[in-house]
Amino acid sequence: MNSPRVHQFTAVLAGRDAVGQHTVGVDRVLRSMGCVVENFAAHVNADAGMVAHNFRDHERFAPPDLLIYQMSTGSPVAEHLLESDTKLVLNYHNVTPSSSFEPWEPHIGAELDAARRQLSRLARHAHSAIADSHYNAAELEALGMEQVTVVPVLWRPPRVRQALAPVARQASVLFVGRIAPNKRHEDLIAMMAILRVRRPDVVLDLVGGVSSERYATAVRELVERLGLTDAVRFHGSIDDATLDQLYAEAAVYVSASEHEGFCVPLIEAMAAGLPVVARDAAAVPETLGDAGLLIDGPNPVALAGAVDRLLGDDRLRSCMAELGVARATDFDLEMAEAALAAALRPLLEAR
Amino acid sequence: MPEKSFDINRIRAEIEADAETRRRQDPELARLERDIERAWIDVAPPGAAGDDPGELLLDRADRLALIDVDAPIGERRGVREVKGAIRKATYWYLRYVTDQMNAFSGVLTRLLRRMNERLDHVEHVVGIYRDDRELLDPPDAPSPATSAAIAREVGSGRTVVLSCGDGEVVAALDEAGGSAYGVDRDAVALLPGVERGLDLRTGDPRTHLVELETGSVDGLVLAGFVETLPVAMLVDLIDISLDRLAVGGRVVVAVADPGNRSPIEAELRQGRGISPETWAHLLERRGAAVSLVDSPGPRVTRLVIATTP
Repeated sequence: MNSPRVHQFTAVLAGRDAVGQHTVGVDRVLRSMGCVVENFAAHVNADAGMVAHNFRDHERFAPPDLLIYQMSTGSPVAEHLLESDTKLVLNYHNVTPSSSFEPWEPHIGAELDAARRQLSRLARHAHSAIADSHYNAAELEALGMEQVTVVPVLWRPPRVRQALAPVARQASVLFVGRIAPNKRHEDLIAMMAILRVRRPDVVLDLVGGVSSERYATAVRELVERLGLTDAVRFHGSIDDATLDQLYAEAAVYVSASEHEGFCVPLIEAMAAGLPVVARDAAAVPETLGDAGLLIDGPNPVALAGAVDRLLGDDRLRSCMAELGVARATDFDLEMAEAALAAALRPLLEAR
Repeated sequence: MPEKSFDINRIRAEIEADAETRRRQDPELARLERDIERAWIDVAPPGAAGDDPGELLLDRADRLALIDVDAPIGERRGVREVKGAIRKATYWYLRYVTDQMNAFSGVLTRLLRRMNERLDHVEHVVGIYRDDRELLDPPDAPSPATSAAIAREVGSGRTVVLSCGDGEVVAALDEAGGSAYGVDRDAVALLPGVERGLDLRTGDPRTHLVELETGSVDGLVLAGFVETLPVAMLVDLIDISLDRLAVGGRVVVAVADPGNRSPIEAELRQGRGISPETWAHLLERRGAAVSLVDSPGPRVTRLVIATTP
């Protein structure tokens, strides 16, 4: 019997991106299962770490037995796949609600609306789906999909990426995520303004590129207006080693994000032994399990209170760090790869 | 594993309860929260600063409008209830209006974006109005010798030079005792003239002409941009130009003859351009007295002079 042929698609293949890393991981798993894999994307970044062809060249390759689409945004790739008769597996990472972007970047809001419409059509067209959280799975099921398997994002957290030397934690608070309206950086800035009244030495490290220039400008302006320029550090997109160092040096990880389909940085923070405080929203409680301190939000006062308490209570911090490290092992890369292989095997055997 | 006495849900409840208590009891915190919220509303676009502006909305209404949300003032029995009702009604009304405005502006933004996309598409397909600056430099401004010739023809009075470039024509007009200013789309091209102290302004020359009042100028110099306009727009432009001139005012057209264009310019320049003879013909048809005058060049070899009746 010939090796199964799988064509994997994604809108943008980027190395420093959870979906990009996951796509590379899926390719690895499929090859380990003896599949012949070709990858396709609309855009391939220089740091992708994998060869991917332009999706429009798809027809030039030998016909596949299975198509896999990594979906996290709207894309012409989806339209292309909707025209194919080959069995399609939708690997869903969620799409940010357009309402977050609408006031800031109306064109992105319109694109996100279009993405949701594509999702509805894909849900009717696809044979089955893989979701990286039950939160995402529920959305697919609400669209009528019956065969949805939950497999976490394939991601290697920092302690595994690089053995870190233990570092004395500083009075710094860390958040990792693109500067986008759904991440609610304004709540983190507000939290800092409140926290600094009690703890004037605390600093906030913000890591991540910019998804909305207009939003990023407003966030920076808020920092200036509140007199927090020395308390909030914007690092932008940084390399793995620098990020790992920030995880190692921070005292607390805080997220005010109102929408996450999975949230890899939470796993990274927990794996790095950082206690996590996060807004109770979307897939965040599912990813954190019982290992994080959830806050109903938006509530900068409570976020500040939680950070203040953690900074002042070594015992609590250490207990939460321990819980976090244990929780992060639930997303162990090898286990996730095995779960993915188990989800895909019946589809490949039934070709 | 962590000790069993550690109950994260209890800690969460304590933290959230403490936050509520502090909010109610600590006026400094309430003021700080209000300042933060106000700072964010000032930098965020409408609709981005939360769905429930509440007190802040009222506060803003106080500052921006002649609405006294606390009226009537008084502590008598019953008055307090009336105050509360008015305050609540004002809040709900303001909130309703704000929501409607936000929704309306969101729809407008989206529609404009779609219209822009469609126009882009149509322009791309039809191949008009494509910005050719990446392919070809804009037409050169009149040379110093041509500028001097223009100044002689226009004479004194208030003159606007459209597509003034670095201001050579404006300078010549000023030297001739007139009062002139220039308009050009290219801010960088203007800089040398601005440094010389000339009155040069950035803007779209056609839009500037349209916005002038009827009969408000004594002279108009049309250069550069008119070489790239479609014929239908040129005809409109002639009507507008003659309308903006005072009685006895003059239009001077300083354009290259399209018959003398190099092959590159002939093929890449958007708009076919019209010759000085055609300009003269069109201006005459609109009732102006027209003459053609030789110009030293090198690019502009004849000037079209039109005087309003």
